[in-house]
Parts: sequence; structure tokens; C-alpha cells
Amino acid sequence: MIQKTVWAYSSLVNASLPLFQPRLLVSVPSAATLATPVTAPLAIHPSLWRAHQLGRTGADARTTGFDALDAVLPGRGWPVQGLSELLLPHPGVGELRLLAPALAAAQVGGRGLMWFEPPAAPCAWALSALGIDMRQLVVVRARQALAMGGKGQNGQKGRFERAPPAADILWALEHALKSGHLGAVVAWLPARLPADALRRLQLAAQAHGGPAFLLRPAVARHTPSAAPLRLVLSSAGPDLLGVAVLKRRGPPLAAPLTLELPQVLSPTALARALAGRASVDAAAVSPSSTPSSTDSRS
Amino acid sequence: MWWLALHLPQLSLEAFAATLGDSSHDRPVALVADHRITAVNAAAAQCGIQPGIKRATALALSGELLLGQAAAERDAAALQAVAHAALAFTPAVTLHDTQTVLLEVHASLRLFGGLAALRRRLKETLAPLGHAVHSAAAPTALGAALLARWPDGGRGVTADLPTLRARLDSAPVWLLGPGKAHWDALQGMGLHTLADLRQMPRAGVARRFSEELLDELDRAYGQRPDPRLWVELPAAFETRLELFARADTTEQVLFGAAVLLARLVAWAGARQSRVAAFTLHMQHEPRHRESTAPSTTLRIELAEPALDPAHLQTLLRERLARITLAAPTLELRLHCHQLVHAGPPNGELFPSRGSEAEGLVRLLERLRARLGDEQVHRLQAVADHRPERASRAVPALTAVGATTEVGRAAMKLVDSALPLHRPVWLLPEPLPLSERDTLPLLDGRPLQLLSGPERIEAGWWDGTPAARDYFIAQAEDSSLVWVWRSRLPVAAGEVNWFLQGRFG
Repeated sequence: MIQKTVWAYSSLVNASLPLFQPRLLVSVPSAATLATPVTAPLAIHPSLWRAHQLGRTGADARTTGFDALDAVLPGRGWPVQGLSELLLPHPGVGELRLLAPALAAAQVGGRGLMWFEPPAAPCAWALSALGIDMRQLVVVRARQALAMGGKGQNGQKGRFERAPPAADILWALEHALKSGHLGAVVAWLPARLPADALRRLQLAAQAHGGPAFLLRPAVARHTPSAAPLRLVLSSAGPDLLGVAVLKRRGPPLAAPLTLELPQVLSPTALARALAGRASVDAAAVSPSSTPSSTDSRS
Repeated sequence: MWWLALHLPQLSLEAFAATLGDSSHDRPVALVADHRITAVNAAAAQCGIQPGIKRATALALSGELLLGQAAAERDAAALQAVAHAALAFTPAVTLHDTQTVLLEVHASLRLFGGLAALRRRLKETLAPLGHAVHSAAAPTALGAALLARWPDGGRGVTADLPTLRARLDSAPVWLLGPGKAHWDALQGMGLHTLADLRQMPRAGVARRFSEELLDELDRAYGQRPDPRLWVELPAAFETRLELFARADTTEQVLFGAAVLLARLVAWAGARQSRVAAFTLHMQHEPRHRESTAPSTTLRIELAEPALDPAHLQTLLRERLARITLAAPTLELRLHCHQLVHAGPPNGELFPSRGSEAEGLVRLLERLRARLGDEQVHRLQAVADHRPERASRAVPALTAVGATTEVGRAAMKLVDSALPLHRPVWLLPEPLPLSERDTLPLLDGRPLQLLSGPERIEAGWWDGTPAARDYFIAQAEDSSLVWVWRSRLPVAAGEVNWFLQGRFG
């Protein structure tokens, strides 16, 4: 075994030696002994990880309900005591079907759920079909108005139209996170936020005992954020959700995922969507024709 | 019989300081009555101002002296608050003079675990009121009161009657009320302590000074009975605080309100209940000399009755932040008529189910106070086929866990029949869509109708009939939307297609 030696020049403290005499300071074992590392970083502290591995969250992560997503998230689930930021092009790509398993699990044990400034009126029937208990859900709105939708007939504006920065919602969200009495928190925030707002929320989330989700418009992907997990959601097909991991504790994800959401469409409708033509002949079923049965699906 | 006396030597100054607002405490402050100084604080005493000198002399001695009017009713209100706080420990509380409260604690010792523990808890309870309290315990009422007033040797516990008599023997004569008035004469006669006074012939003392002096001496030594009238708790709480300087900012109003809230909590604690609602009246400065003073009334109702002054103050602060006051505030009045009989709040270290629920209610109350009552709500499912009426927002704190049985059963039905065929997001108003080739357009692109029609006809009974065919459609970016077309006949150029919601 050849011992590799590291030659170094002595410091000026030891002035008795001539200046340019090389001095043996430390010996490093050769490459053969480096094959088995002495200690793994995870064994030293749970928050250390190597750059090519997925990190671990401090506390237990909550499972997302989708195995493919669990596999790519550090800790195999949504982080607890930290923010998870989801970026959407517009509300209605399937984000709630993605979050529903985690929200339903957070309500177990009588813990409450709090939503801040949802972009439209949530439908109680749909939410209870997704497994969320209405009695433990509280919706908090700010004092400013909000509009949502697409461009309609008269070119009415829609999308994430919002009044200037929602200071009310940031205050309420911070206090809700700090109280630590909630199971999970979902907040819809605008793309433009004050510089330190997300940092404050991340600090406040340390006291929170469950996942905290922030949903923002996809234009916010270019601004930095203090959230440890950032996902970009998009609609990848009927009942399919495309998830691109923008930021996580670990290496960047090579290719975006496609997740299968709980089905809204019946199989024939799904086939029709994939075939790409609208075979529901809307003209045949016009107001002048005789009514058919209530739940007919052609 | 065990008597505990609480003496508040600085009561008038502290009651006056409560009206000052948050100004600094280093200023010399003195109280004036009839142009003579009655009470001074430490900073004023350093300047040489003593009680008894004239007002003009005091102002000459210190340039930055703050003079306030001595007000007996303000002092009485502060003493009442201390008596109410003491009533949480024993039902036998009486006022001795304008600065002393007497408690008879013999029957409470076992509950509170001894005299030392009771004194400690009493001190903690009195801490929010912000008074300097000197306490002494003795077998007789007046003996305890005298010892509490004696700054040099009177503190602590006097276990039995002989020890009390021995201590009182060495007490100075001016401790007795009448003794103070006759202090010069007594000093001239060489009578300095109570022992000296007792050695004098009784008839002579009674004739020379007064019967009351002898009476008080006998009662202090336990030789004469000392019946007292106990303090009665008022049924409703009402107190007022006149601010020294007009309050221009919310912080100054809150400082005064904090004092009133501490008194409210003391009263509620004495009644073994919690505060359910209270009202704060603020009297403002009248704008013109003749007009009546405007006033603002703030009523704060708590969903969960509480006894925590910090929480009540937080709610008051949030409500005050929302309103603008018409004019500077001169006087504050606090009323409370609504109490709920309940045990004291939970003080355990680890969170339990009950304390978590209580914490959640407090958070909701705080959000409601800041944002408004309608902004914090729960969703309730209504059994109506029209989607815009199928969910209703109910204010969060009135509907805690209150879905009716009908609602819950109906929700089970919908679970089995229509699993996910309702979109999560519903637009508050259906968005009209233009039409091309019998297909609706969203953002200028035709929608692909995938599933439908689902016919919903309802509402003929309340004047808003809806006859609609609902379709699930796919937009340009493959997200799913819910559109409908009206079955009611429409005019030629009118819009027939509407966007109801999106599947989230």
C-alpha cells in the first residue's frame, strides 16, 4: 500500500525551519480504502444528505396518496412543518383531487382544516365526495373581492384577478400556522407577494403540526420562494395531472410525472376525449326535443 | 379566625397612573386636594415634595411635576377591584378604610393548602391589577390591619393572640386612626407605642382623646368583638375610567381598557364564571361647546367564554383596529352582563383534545374579530339540485359541528350515486359563453363536450326555475369544465351556454 502523502508548506509560526521545506502534515488513505465511506451523512444527522440523494424531512412526511409522487418526494410525502407550494396555470387542473387524500388524512382525530381565499365557491357535495369532512373545514376570506373564470362572451376578465396584495390573508395564515391547532392549511396566494412574506410563513409553519399548501399562479415559478417543496401542476389530459418538481430537497427531477386522478369521466366519455372528437351531438339534444331520463349518459 | 390584611399604600397614585396612558414612570407625580398635596410618588419625594405642602410650593420645587386631582371614587373603584380579586379566595372580604382590604381566611386554608400557598396565589391574582400590596396575617382583624400598615415590623404571619399582643405592644401609636389625629398630643405626653397607651388609665384616655381610640385598641388586642359587613358582589359589572389626557390613538385607549379588563376578570373570577360578552363605551370630546359628546359602543361577544385578560385584550385590539373613532376619547366605561358559570380555564402543560378545540375556537374568534363575521365561515351542503344553491356558507362559530341529520344522510346518498361528477369549483355567477357551430367557446376555443347531458330541472317552487342540460367538457388545455345550456326558450341573439364550474 502506497501511502499518499500530502505535502504542505509550514506556516510562519514555526520560524525555526527554513521557509520552503515541505512538511508532512496529514496522510490520507488511498482510493481503495475510500470505497467504503467511514460514516454515512444520514447516520450523523437526519437533516444531512448527499447531493445525489433525496433529502429527509425533519418530521414524518404525510403520504400523498399517489405512489408515483411519493417516490419522488423527500421523505416520501408532503413535508410537515414546512410549506409546499403548488403552481397552477388556473384553478381547476385537478389540484384538489391531488390534495384530497392528504387533507382527508389530516382531518383524522378531529383536527380542523382551514382554507384561505379559495378562488371560487367550493361545492360542498364535491368535497365530501372526495373524503373531506365539511364540519371540520373552515373557509377564511379577506375583505377584498376576487374574480375567477375564463374569457367569456363579452371578453369579461377572469383568471386570478385579485386586488392588491392580500395582507389580511397573510396575517391570518401566519396566525393559523403559529397556533398549531390545525390539521392542514391550504391557501391561495397571488403571484406577487411582499419579499419576506414566504420566509415568515415558512418560519411560522415550524409550529404547525401538518402540511401547509400554498397555491399560486404558475407565473410565480420565476420568482424565488422559501418553500422547501415547489411543484408545477398542469393538465396532461382528461383526468390526468402533470406534475413537474421545481424545487425539492434533493436532485432535480429529470422528467415530469403524470398522475392518474380519481375519475370524473365515465369510460365512454374518456374514450371520446382520447379519440379527440366531440361525439356528444349537442344539436340533437336541443331544448325543443322531448326530455330523456335524468341520468342518461350517451 | 384568621385574618389577612392587604394594605395598598400607593392606591391613589396607582389609580391615577392608570388614567395617564403609557407615559413614562420617571416623572414626579402628585395628587392635589384643596390646593394641598395629598400623595406623592418616589420621584416627587426626591424633589422634596411632601404630602401636606401647598400646591404652589410643590410646583416651585419641581418644574416637571404632573399634578392630578385626588378623586375618592376612582380610588374606591380600584379598591373594589382588589376586593373582587380577593373574593375568589374567600367569601368573607371587607374593606377596612380607603386603603385596606381584610380577608377572613380560616375556612379557605385547607382548600388552598396553607396560608403561605394562599398568600402566594393571592399575590399572583393581584399582579395584573398593578398595585403594591403589603400583607399581614393575624388572629384579629384590626390587629392584621395595623400590622399591614406598619412598614417596619408588621409583615408576615402572627400565629396566635399572645404573639399578636406582644407585637402590637411595640407598634407606634400613629397606626391607630384616631392616634394619627392626636399624634402631637400623644407625643407631648411621651406615649410612643401602643403598650404605653394601654398602661394609661382607660377613663382618662377616653375623656382626653376619644372613645374610638380605646375601642380600636381593644378590638386590635382581641378584647372586644369586631363584627364586620362583608363585601357583596354586584350582579352586573360596571366600571368607568376617566382618562387624564384625551386619547388620540388606539394604543392609549387600549391601555385604559386593559385596566378595566383586569377588573372585569377579577369580578368574573370572584363569581366563579367566565366572561361571555362585554361592552366598551367610549365617550369622545364634543366638537362644539353646545353639542352632546359623541360616543362609540363596541360590543364583543365570545364564542367560547374565557377568563384570560390577554385574550380579551387581543379581541378588543382587533375590533378597535377596524373602526375609526369620531373624536379623541375622554372616558371609558365597561359593562358586562353576560356570564357563563364554568370552571377556571385549563392550565395543563400538554395539549389535550379539549384544549386543542379551545385553541381552535380562540383562533377563529381572533380571525373573526379582525376580518369580520362573514369572512370566516363553514360550508354546509343543502339538498338542492341547483348547483349554485347546493352549498351554503354559515358563519364558523355558530355552526360548530352542526350539520343536521338530514344533511348528513343526503350526503351519504350522493356519495354512492354520483361519485365525483360535481366540480369542486363553482363560479359565483355562471359565465356566459359564446357559441359557434352549436359548441360553446371558452377563451375563444371550442370546448369538446365529453359527457352529458345531465338534466337538472328544479326551483319552480320558489320563483327561480332552472331547467338546464349539464355537460362535462374539455377545454383547450385538457382541463375539465362544467357547462350548461338552458332548456327554457331564449330569444334569437341571446346566450344559451354558461360555464358553471371547473373540476379541480
